[in-house]
Amino acid sequence: MREKHWRDLIPVSELEKNDVTPAKHGSLDFAVYDTVDGIFVSLARCSHQGANLCYGYFDGKTIECPLHQGLFDARTGEPKASPATRKLIMIEARVHESMVQILK
Amino acid sequence: MAEEVLTPISQAMKDGVLTRKDLKELMTRSNGPGLLHLLIFILCYCVTGLLILLTQGSLWMIPAMFLHGIILVHHFSLQHECCHYTPFKTRWLNEIIGTYCGFVLVIPNKFFRYEHCNHHTYTQILGKDPELIELPISLWKYLWYVSSIPYWKAKFSELFNHTLGRISDIEKEFIPPEERSSVILEARLYSLGYVIIILASWYGDWWGVIWYWWLPVFIGEPVMRAIRMAEHVGRPNITDMKQNTRTSLVSLPMRFLCWNMNYHAEHHYASSIPFHALPKLHKKLEGFVHVESRGYWGAHFDIISQILGFKPRSDNIKN
Repeated sequence: MREKHWRDLIPVSELEKNDVTPAKHGSLDFAVYDTVDGIFVSLARCSHQGANLCYGYFDGKTIECPLHQGLFDARTGEPKASPATRKLIMIEARVHESMVQILK
Repeated sequence: MAEEVLTPISQAMKDGVLTRKDLKELMTRSNGPGLLHLLIFILCYCVTGLLILLTQGSLWMIPAMFLHGIILVHHFSLQHECCHYTPFKTRWLNEIIGTYCGFVLVIPNKFFRYEHCNHHTYTQILGKDPELIELPISLWKYLWYVSSIPYWKAKFSELFNHTLGRISDIEKEFIPPEERSSVILEARLYSLGYVIIILASWYGDWWGVIWYWWLPVFIGEPVMRAIRMAEHVGRPNITDMKQNTRTSLVSLPMRFLCWNMNYHAEHHYASSIPFHALPKLHKKLEGFVHVESRGYWGAHFDIISQILGFKPRSDNIKN
């Protein structure tokens, strides 16, 4: 198994404050959440039917899918309301020297 | 993990019609506008209910019930908004009010939500969109649909089957296995509610539910069928959002009653945007979506022209 490293994703200064921001690394799209408990990152695709969560409504704790309004806890990826039933793929993240990094 | 799909909103972003800033501003949620709208809506049907009371025993009672029915069937517009969780910021308010609206119209809310999800995923795609109303093949079929008889047949049969624990193969495509039992439970609770109301009316020997609720809804439903037809019927059965949905420009009272759902193409573009922001979205999408400037009448003129062969049928247009 390949060893994981911290990789730069997006500067903190480019984050949409108290909201969700899209970010790309390689061919993958990520959603970066500026939550009440800090920065969290998931893959941007909804686990229901693949819509891009970065266009969804975010209230500081939960992210709502823009297509069917399924709800997820942006800090854990847990589905909170139908039609979401599966967890989001969360990516370990940290803020290091004003940069959001992901362990990948 | 599901593959990313090109959704209407991501399409609008790619086409440069909307910016993220626009979207975020339009998506802002609050309880105030929805609660105020709801209060006026309730006042409207209290007034029309009073009209029924005042005209009781005269022939004027029939138009009074029709007017009351037109307002009551617009509980659907609010239920529809609630199923997108947009009219109220407080999420549970959408569930409670959506369930209430669904009870008024025999549309169990959870079931509707799942069905409506697939309508947004597969808008206007034959065999995939569970809410698709096909372009009628004759004027007779058009009138038959507007009469609402086939609609009620389908609604009661859905409720009956779900109450008995039966989910059809088509429904299994949009209700995930883990949610089927809650859809059945919901149908049973709705059925129980109706049985309790009938028994209470019998026991109390007062049948106001018929004169103030069921009969008005029955005679008002053709109006809602006609409105629902205006949303997609006569538009092509293709995936292109710019073509498959129709926005109808209607009068202020109609916009109020239908909770701005006449801006239907805009709603399909960004279903997370609340009803009160749809007129602003309409301005942003000007020239980008199909708009019927003659309103619902114009939409039906278009539909009937296609049925009678004065215009090419939209269901001949393929992806």
